[in-house]
Amino acid sequence: MPGFTLPSATLLAQSVLSGIFVGALYGLMGLGLSLSWGLLRIINLAHFAFAFLAAYICYQLASHGVDPLLTLVGIVPAFFLLGVLLHWLMARFRMTTFNSLLLTFGLMGIVEAVIQTIWTADFRKLESAYANQKFKLGALFFPVPELITLVLAVSLALSIWAVLRYTDLGRALRAAAEDPAVAAAFGVDQRRNGLLLAGTCAALVSIAGVCIALTATLAPSQMYAWIGVVFAAVMLGGLGSAIGPLVAGLLIGVSEAVTMAVTAPSWAPIVSFTLLIVVLVFRPGKAA
Amino acid sequence: MLDVHGLEVWYGAAPALWGVSLTVRAGELLSVVGPNGAGKTTLINALCGIERARAGRIVVDGVDVTRLPSHRFCAAGIAVVPEGRRLFTAMTVRENLELGSHLPLARAERAESLAAALELFPALAEKLASPAGELSGGQQQMVAIARALMARPRLLLLDEPSLGLSPLIVADMFDAVRRINAQGVSVLLVEQNVEIALSLSDRAYVLEEGRIVAEGEPDDLLARPEIQRAYLGV
Amino acid sequence: MSRSTVAILAVAAAMALLPLAGLPAFYDALLYLMLHWIVLATSWNILSGTTGYFSFGHGAFFGAGLYTTSTLLARFEWPFLWTLPVAAVVAALLGTALGAVVFRVRSVRGELFALLTLAITFVVGTIVGNTPIDGGNGVSLASVPVPHLGPTQSSTFYLLALAAATLTLVVARAIFFSRFGAGLLAIHDDEDAAEVMGVPTYRYKLVALAISCALAGVAGGIHALFLSYVTVGEVFTITVPLTVVLMSVLGGTRHWAGPAVGAVAITGLLYSFTAADHAVAGKAAIGAILIAALLSMPDGILPRMQRAWRGVTHRGAKASASVAPTAAAPAPPPSSPAVPVAGDVVLRVSGLHKRFKGVRALAGVAVDVRRGEILGLLGPNGSGKSTFINVVSGHYAASAGEIVFEGRGLVGTPAHRIAAGGIARTYQIPRPFAHMTVLDNVALAAMFGGGIATPRAARDAARQWLDFTGLAAKADAFPDALNLHQRKFLELARALASRPRLVLLDEVLCGLTPSEIDSAVALIRRIRDQGATIVFVEHVMRAVMALTDRVVVFHHGELLAEGRAADVMQRPEVMTAYLGRAHA
Repeated sequence: MPGFTLPSATLLAQSVLSGIFVGALYGLMGLGLSLSWGLLRIINLAHFAFAFLAAYICYQLASHGVDPLLTLVGIVPAFFLLGVLLHWLMARFRMTTFNSLLLTFGLMGIVEAVIQTIWTADFRKLESAYANQKFKLGALFFPVPELITLVLAVSLALSIWAVLRYTDLGRALRAAAEDPAVAAAFGVDQRRNGLLLAGTCAALVSIAGVCIALTATLAPSQMYAWIGVVFAAVMLGGLGSAIGPLVAGLLIGVSEAVTMAVTAPSWAPIVSFTLLIVVLVFRPGKAA
Repeated sequence: MLDVHGLEVWYGAAPALWGVSLTVRAGELLSVVGPNGAGKTTLINALCGIERARAGRIVVDGVDVTRLPSHRFCAAGIAVVPEGRRLFTAMTVRENLELGSHLPLARAERAESLAAALELFPALAEKLASPAGELSGGQQQMVAIARALMARPRLLLLDEPSLGLSPLIVADMFDAVRRINAQGVSVLLVEQNVEIALSLSDRAYVLEEGRIVAEGEPDDLLARPEIQRAYLGV
Repeated sequence: MSRSTVAILAVAAAMALLPLAGLPAFYDALLYLMLHWIVLATSWNILSGTTGYFSFGHGAFFGAGLYTTSTLLARFEWPFLWTLPVAAVVAALLGTALGAVVFRVRSVRGELFALLTLAITFVVGTIVGNTPIDGGNGVSLASVPVPHLGPTQSSTFYLLALAAATLTLVVARAIFFSRFGAGLLAIHDDEDAAEVMGVPTYRYKLVALAISCALAGVAGGIHALFLSYVTVGEVFTITVPLTVVLMSVLGGTRHWAGPAVGAVAITGLLYSFTAADHAVAGKAAIGAILIAALLSMPDGILPRMQRAWRGVTHRGAKASASVAPTAAAPAPPPSSPAVPVAGDVVLRVSGLHKRFKGVRALAGVAVDVRRGEILGLLGPNGSGKSTFINVVSGHYAASAGEIVFEGRGLVGTPAHRIAAGGIARTYQIPRPFAHMTVLDNVALAAMFGGGIATPRAARDAARQWLDFTGLAAKADAFPDALNLHQRKFLELARALASRPRLVLLDEVLCGLTPSEIDSAVALIRRIRDQGATIVFVEHVMRAVMALTDRVVVFHHGELLAEGRAADVMQRPEVMTAYLGRAHA
């Protein structure tokens, strides 16, 4: 077994920091998935495809000189509509939760093929003004793209949490998830709410996609690498929760980073997955 | 204010209600009694949109609601207190009440409705922040009734509210129902407990095996053999 | 040996001669891959398609086999063919260890099980990649000698895969047509009902998983040498599990050959795209096909084709649908209450308590049930009648008290053993196994409650029970084609098929029309005349008066009264309980 090396304090702190950044992205990716699964009973694997599609579109626009953050103006509404359309189709066919998993997996394959056709399988890196900027605080580096991601992740999670907790729409969504028949008896229009929520989830994941474009190198096959870790964050954080995936994501990101610093990068996946297994076996009620 | 004509509700290939016709006059407190399995809950569910009618008509204050989607029944002035309460257990009491006033018209009067509900059920005031699932049976029943009132209904549907509750709590609860009715809300009460139901109501129907078999004022009905036969078989 | 098995072996023998034809290596490789995926998809289906526990961890077991072989070859220089059984055993052990823990947790089903098994894949992969098993750099098997089974090296792999595929298909077929397979399919539709009917669900799931993993392990072992250079990244991913799911769902998970059909279709499709240099379009096509299949053929290709075939051949012989089972049965005995049956006590309940989270559903119930009698359980809603039945049948565990059936204590016995021990129950809302025919539904009960060993004998017995309940015409129909009355009679037939000495009926008559109630009453009497003791919960007073020898009245979890129905219902305390003080 590779040795355990204790890194310097600075290295450890920088690791924790990078863990926080990547964890925030996990949380942002998981936000839409968690809401969709918990409140709509649909497991939407296509989220990952949408994220990457958004990432590639951002990349394309950026290579024509558009500021990456500005691309959100067009991307977010477009993906909102895409989400609405997809949900409308699935509702029409009355998918069970499991079938939705399979169907969206098929969709993922199609989107991956589309991406590969347009942009090929080569690695692509977004070149932007932000890419190389970073702040320095003491001995620690805060890269700007990652910082943007963190800010977006936290603010979006908090906003969604607030909507769910304090607004009538949020209450309606939560009530309909628990007892659809009684919720309808009090006037909750679940079809309309479902479409709204699905659109929002797609919009959220498209923002995550832009963040991926800002911080990582893109390749179509990369889409699958996120599935495991994001599902772990979603299940640990609790289905239907807005803040849960973020907290779980941060936890996973930091533990992965620390594991990597202390042992070797290849041990990182074991952290999130073991946590997931433990939660599923010993507290399945919490996860679902 | 409620007219039901020839209502038929089916479960799969078998009818649960056949040719049910009844009326609720404005301001009335009406009971529907009958043994278990008679179809009482089916009736309530059909009246609030949880079940679809296969045939017949439901008319509320002149508006035919029979073919409307489930979520439009509430806007017609109907609110339900379902059998077994069916509160949103993951939400707090306050949130349950707020959900009751989800529709725009009710939402505008939310603050007053809440105050009125707390006047009716003072014990709820200190439980507003508790998750609904943690309350006792009697408290949950109070929340369920309050939740329905938050919708500012003209017709309140109550499905076996005494189920599983101790006699003392049942008495308090029906007291509240009487007061609600006195304020002008029409009430349709479905109950297995004949004694209590008849003591409260202005009029009653007897439902047996999916059909109305008797109708009239409480004193008349108690003397008739239909009730005894329906419940006791003798 | 069945026709299908002979057919499989014959085809395999014919295919084994193929290398002699001297085809280019490309075809060997293509056929190898098809057979390889046949093994993986069919083995996955043995657990997941049958029971509905969709595993996303097939990659872990496949990988376990693969790395077992590679380790034994590279490090310990074992002869290749000997590594295969070891690979099978290692994969099976891994699966069994996982299953032993996970299957005990009741709520880990469906999506949760899928994700848990997916997580296992990544955990095992990480461990393998970070330890000397692989070490992150992959394992090279280039220098390992390939056994000489065929004229060329590629044909050797082809033959190995052919052998593995043949074994897998024969095993899968055997399972599907066995008692074991029937139990697995029942678990899919309603695990709790299956357990209560006598299927040992935990044990069966574990065995299915072990077999599934063993076969995957063999495929892994063969594949290790085929690849000759193995890396973690290629094996422990989401690709293997998702591909096998896709292949099985496409071909049909409820048929033993479904996954094989899907495997051949998908592999062929992918290769035709790759050959034409459109690999990417191939992936898109696969995705589109999966979506189209899910929407239009939720059961898969094979069942759809089977239905079309059946429709063609049966078009002439369409039986007319009857609404109620007519009495092809003897006329019912007269309804006057019989002389009180002086049988011995068959069920003795004393001091029975059942609490649910602070609610006292049963508060010290004591009752004796005598052999051959029909006992009615009455009482208002919520008084504890259904809970009583649920506790006696083992659906719920008693909080306190004793239940003695034919001299044996029942408290603490698992539901499936109670079912096999002579007690049967029906559910108030019928719970038939939706994906099995009416005949198979009853046959299942005959096998697991009634102890009949083979599906064939069970079906014969089932036909008798369907005759008895008047459902013979509906034997090949599925439960959703039955009306409520017929479904209730199906429940009865299932209960009877386990040859119970005590039958517990939970509101069998609710929802029936008056004439249907009459035929049901007649049927219940015939059941008693056959020698069973009957305890039933009922609200339809007409039936209670006509059928019962004795009744007991429940009230707030306790027994209020006991005796002949006509007497009891006139007693003041009973009338008060039902109607209130006004009638006392």
